Amino acid sequence: MSLLEIQSVSVSFGGLMALKRVSFALEEGEIVGLIGPNGAGKTTLFNCLSAFQPVSEGHLRYSGVALETLSPHQVAALGVARTFQTSRIFRRMTVLEHLLVGRHLHQRTDLWAAIARPAWVAREEAEARECGLRTLALFEDRLLPRLHDFAETLSYANRRRLEIARALASEPRLLLLDEPTAGMNPHESAGIVQLIKKIRHLGISILLIEHDMKVIMGVSDRIVVLDHGEKIAEGLPEEIRRNEEVLRAYMGRRYGRA
Amino acid sequence: MPVYEFVPRRENWYVWLPLLAALVIFPLLVRSEYILSIAVYAGIYIILTSSLNITNGYTGLFSFGHAAFYGIGAYTAAILATRLGLSFWLTLPLAGVVAGLFGAAIALPTLRLTGIFLALVTIGFQEITFLVTLNWIGLTRGPMGIPAIPPPAIGGVALSGNLGYYYLILALDVIVLGLLSRIVTSRVGRAFMAIREDELAAQSAGIPTFRVKVLSFVIATFFAGIAGAFFAHHARFVSADSFRLDETFAILTMLIVGGMGSLVGPVLGAVLLVVLPEASRFLAEYRGVVYGLILIGVILFRPEGLAGVPGIIQARGALSRVDESSGAGEPVG
Ligand SMILES: Nc1ncnc2c1ncn2[C@@H]1O[C@H](COP(=O)(O)OP(=O)(O)OP(=O)(O)O)[C@@H](O)[C@H]1O
Ligand SMILES: [Mg+2]
Repeated sequence: MSLLEIQSVSVSFGGLMALKRVSFALEEGEIVGLIGPNGAGKTTLFNCLSAFQPVSEGHLRYSGVALETLSPHQVAALGVARTFQTSRIFRRMTVLEHLLVGRHLHQRTDLWAAIARPAWVAREEAEARECGLRTLALFEDRLLPRLHDFAETLSYANRRRLEIARALASEPRLLLLDEPTAGMNPHESAGIVQLIKKIRHLGISILLIEHDMKVIMGVSDRIVVLDHGEKIAEGLPEEIRRNEEVLRAYMGRRYGRA
Repeated sequence: MPVYEFVPRRENWYVWLPLLAALVIFPLLVRSEYILSIAVYAGIYIILTSSLNITNGYTGLFSFGHAAFYGIGAYTAAILATRLGLSFWLTLPLAGVVAGLFGAAIALPTLRLTGIFLALVTIGFQEITFLVTLNWIGLTRGPMGIPAIPPPAIGGVALSGNLGYYYLILALDVIVLGLLSRIVTSRVGRAFMAIREDELAAQSAGIPTFRVKVLSFVIATFFAGIAGAFFAHHARFVSADSFRLDETFAILTMLIVGGMGSLVGPVLGAVLLVVLPEASRFLAEYRGVVYGLILIGVILFRPEGLAGVPGIIQARGALSRVDESSGAGEPVG
């Protein structure tokens, strides 16, 4: 059984079909790249997977569990974490607090425990902090020195990193990254490639939306291509690179629109 | 460390312990009933403002009916004390529970909707509560109010002067602020703030946002009820017009002036705005105008208030939440 199975998923916004019977699967431990021109439906698919967007038709199975009837926090509890195309950070919370929120699912302090503060609450907090710091270490010295800074004071690239860190802190089995290198310079993008490779070594599977071909070709085991809501190709990176239809979709758009 | 980050802990005893000591000594130095009564009112508003801060400050909800829950607590205590002869020590927690139950009844149907609905429903609830208290004469004695509420008794001795009330509200404030600071510095408090900052991201982190928002609202209304019970046993008389929209505005003004999303802010706001109008008879007569002017000044020149979290007033939470979708309608991406 695949870790993630997307079975003939369609989404329509009024008349617009953002996804048309899209099917593909992701195996445990795999990195699958999801590419396609602007408006192809990539983010919409992520929103379906994280239960922000109901599917009009089709099924989503994550290790056998149907995702389409769940709410976002339940999907997260199954071990599916995501980042957003435009960063959704907690502006007035510190870097460390982001990591602690990331640990939310692994903690059990409720209102009563928060008030009574039995000894295990302090232990749980120390554990969460430790785990958060370990996660931040993946980002070398980008975030660690800013532990107690509000997220809104971070640079653009650091905000994107922080979002990934928050997702990783939940120790997901499947990570959905929506254009992690958007707006980054080539050097920073290269850093993200290194990061993705480290994440894979943690045993986390990744579905990656990316416009930067160098990034996508560099890390993906397989690539799925969407255009106008339809899957137009799926295959190994070198197959996709040579695929006529993919080239046409990209070229057509790029020159047709400009 | 900025003031808005201050949380009383064992390590920083040198900040709060001298302050507490000063507050304990204070009434021995100023033996004036009048000044003590102002201090007692400040103590009540500290609870009201700090509890409203849980929803409006930490969680970014826009509740506009805090005085209604304050009134429900006050009436609960008044009725239980005068009809059933319950002592203050029982009416206090019961008033909190009843106010919290009303809070849950408002929160459950409303908090699934976008932010504006909570504002509207709480304003409506405010008016409904007023009309019900005014007209349900059998329970509330309507416009006559409920007089002769017995004072709290400590060790069998009923409190008579404001000195006793002063120490009682001081103790209550210490307990309430202690509880609230434990809540906001826990996993629960982080969930509140995450919802304020970005509800969708909070959901993606596994926070059941609806349940947590309801919890936040119930906590806030519970403590408003606690404040109400103290008020009832202190004033020894309650009537419906003490708990109207202007009272909600007063509490909200204190919160905004003091600053939202911090523990210190609401305390400063409550003390300042209770004490200031008393500074002269002229100001006291125009309490509404004084509050209005201070509020405008703060919003223009220091939107985070005296000790609030900077930027919180332009936050997705706080005031602007009213005209913004907070849930699934918003584009995700
Ligand atoms: N909530 C929505 N309501 C209406 N239409 C939407 C909504 N979300 C997305 N769309 C439309 O669905 C189509 C797919 O959008 P989507 O964001 O999934 O594209 P994308 O592949 O992520 O593009 P990009 O590379 O620009 O991020 C677009 O035409 C978009 O305008
Ligand atoms: Mg997109």
